[in-house]
Amino acid sequence: MKRIIHALRTRARNARSDGDRDVGVDRPASAAEALKDEGDTDAIRSDGGVAAETDPTGEYERRRLQRWRDSDFVQSAPFWLPPFLLMGFFVYAAIGWNFLISLTEYSGFGDVDYSTIGLHNYVELVGDAGFWAATRNTLVLLVAFTLACLVLGLSLAILLDRKIRFERTFRTIYLLPFALSFIVTAQFWMWMYNFDFGIVNGLFGLVGLGPYSWLGSPRLVLGSVIFALMWQFSGYTMVVYLAALRAIPGDQYEAARVDGANTLKLYWRVIIPQLKPATVSASVVLVLFALKAFDFLYAIWGFRPRRGADILATKMVREAFQRQEWAYGASIAIVLFIISLAIIAPYLYQQYTQGNL
Amino acid sequence: MADVTLENITKRYEDVTAVDDMNLDIKHGEFVTFVGPSGCGKSTTMETIAGLTTPTEGKVIIGGRDVTNLPPKDRGISMVFQNIALFPHMDVYENISFGLRLRKYDKDEIDRRVEKAAEVVQLGGMMDRMPDEMSGGQRQRVAIARAIVRNPDVFLMDEPLANLDAKLRVHMRTELQRLHKELDTTIIYVTHDQAEAMTMSDRIAVINAGELQQIDPPLTCYNEPKNLFVAGFIGSPSMNFVEGRITDNGFESDDVNIPFEPAAYNLSTGADVTLGVRPEDVYLSRNSREAADPTPPLTAYSDVLEPMGNEIFAYLKFDEEAESDMEEGVMPGQLLISVDPDTDIAEDQEVEVVLDRAKTHLFDTTTGNAITHQIAPVDTAGASGADAEVGSGD
Repeated sequence: MKRIIHALRTRARNARSDGDRDVGVDRPASAAEALKDEGDTDAIRSDGGVAAETDPTGEYERRRLQRWRDSDFVQSAPFWLPPFLLMGFFVYAAIGWNFLISLTEYSGFGDVDYSTIGLHNYVELVGDAGFWAATRNTLVLLVAFTLACLVLGLSLAILLDRKIRFERTFRTIYLLPFALSFIVTAQFWMWMYNFDFGIVNGLFGLVGLGPYSWLGSPRLVLGSVIFALMWQFSGYTMVVYLAALRAIPGDQYEAARVDGANTLKLYWRVIIPQLKPATVSASVVLVLFALKAFDFLYAIWGFRPRRGADILATKMVREAFQRQEWAYGASIAIVLFIISLAIIAPYLYQQYTQGNL
Repeated sequence: MADVTLENITKRYEDVTAVDDMNLDIKHGEFVTFVGPSGCGKSTTMETIAGLTTPTEGKVIIGGRDVTNLPPKDRGISMVFQNIALFPHMDVYENISFGLRLRKYDKDEIDRRVEKAAEVVQLGGMMDRMPDEMSGGQRQRVAIARAIVRNPDVFLMDEPLANLDAKLRVHMRTELQRLHKELDTTIIYVTHDQAEAMTMSDRIAVINAGELQQIDPPLTCYNEPKNLFVAGFIGSPSMNFVEGRITDNGFESDDVNIPFEPAAYNLSTGADVTLGVRPEDVYLSRNSREAADPTPPLTAYSDVLEPMGNEIFAYLKFDEEAESDMEEGVMPGQLLISVDPDTDIAEDQEVEVVLDRAKTHLFDTTTGNAITHQIAPVDTAGASGADAEVGSGD
């Protein structure tokens, strides 16, 4: 990379400093030009000077090319162009292609047939009860999971912020689940929720309740999943909140106390409102995760989660990779994409207006 | 009426004593300043009055009520903080009215009081500004308005001007004095800046290492410091100190000898004492200004000069060969004096100086306590010139 930049720099410098000297050797464009006019010995000898005298239009073209080459746009290209191309191809082109497939009737083996383009998959989605159930579950998961993580994370952060003993140890303990793979947490919670010898039923048994089929009952299953995910993610929100709390100067607390606030009012009216930026950024991460919470469910149930726990992400994968309804799966993916976009767009817009983007 | 009394206040943290047996009596309407170096316990003392810390021992009495174990909101106090501590998510009106809204005053009463407080600090027309849209001085005014809006009995200020720039600080200083006149409340003010303390207070409480050194009106602290610490802390540049002993004839040190009757101050021969004299109380013999009651002249050599415009600070050394080291202020063997700007003094000259006896202090070197704030000349006048000697410092 460095060498490329260096070469570009040198070339630009040469081009700038001496228009008359022969720079064709390290300039592919000029070399090609020279090859083309092979018969003309003058042109080969010094492609700049002679051409200028004999051909004013060529000189003009060359000047323009040179200016273009010196522009910031071209000079900075080595920095932004590779990631731009990679992102453009692998992300945005893929999304576009996915959308195109969602308009076809592509299923099973064989090639995509682009001749029957239409919105029939989306029409079918509207009539699919399974789709609506999955959408509902996705939204419930999204809202409940996000709120639960925020509340729990905030409570933990406030407790940890009170200069307690072993604060670092607690911080690590709370954050640890976040470092685990979903496969691991899924297995772990499968044991916890086990109907016959899971700890959860054991605990409920102590107070004479249960046993419950945590992962089997359609009424309980979504709650169980949300709880397990909350266990994994509240450490993350805690760290975000803890950082934000540390940024609030101590005399804010003192000022509020002198003004007459008790602990509850102090936090509710003075401290928590100041955590708004932290809440927004943590929420974006949590919401986007909730929309894609596929691997956790897949690790427990495989392609078909228990009724009541099917979300758009699992339905999409099932339609595409189990039933080979590629186009139908693609249309679910587009719906998921639009929901994500609808959630993240206000955040990005706000960041943009504040000049953070 | 809200007098503030501290009785034997002691605050100990695990192995540090922040405040040590503090006794204070502050009258209603007084402007008292706590002054001292960083970490001397002045802020802790204020926090005990505010109720933000509970003292390990002792009592806090405000307006005749023992408030030692009451929370801040029940003490009738309000406070202005060093970092201003406005709530960044509230506009000016919400910031000022926060305490009133918590106490569930009705809307009209809140409006009336906020308007009045804003008027006192001259903040009209800024009610819907957010703190980050205001300048440092404006924010400070909001903080003060927030404190006065509740009509507190006692007004506590913890270095409120420390974060302002120098010019604004001087301006706010006069504003605060005006405010004190208008409000007629007790103000307790913490600062490490002795200029603030001198200019604003009715009384200054000088605190060092958790102990109250002296509480007196500013000029008393300046002219009659109770001990070496107060003498050195109050006044800028600080007082010159010369360590020496008492002989039969008076004070003697390597560099400075001043004749007087030790018996007049109950001093016995051989006692270790420190002589203190402020830069403006040392006079060049050839200066137009003259000491009212001069000591015999001392010979010294001018070193570095610092012209300030209205005066020149001249560092003198008694030993001509001594290396000047400005890093630690006035060193032993040096004397900092203030002279008229039109005096023709140059660096590296031999000069003769006299001290003003009426402004020369003696302190007990071991205890640090002041012995006298003036040294009377020996009765048998005329012999003084011969008695004074200037040592060469080796």
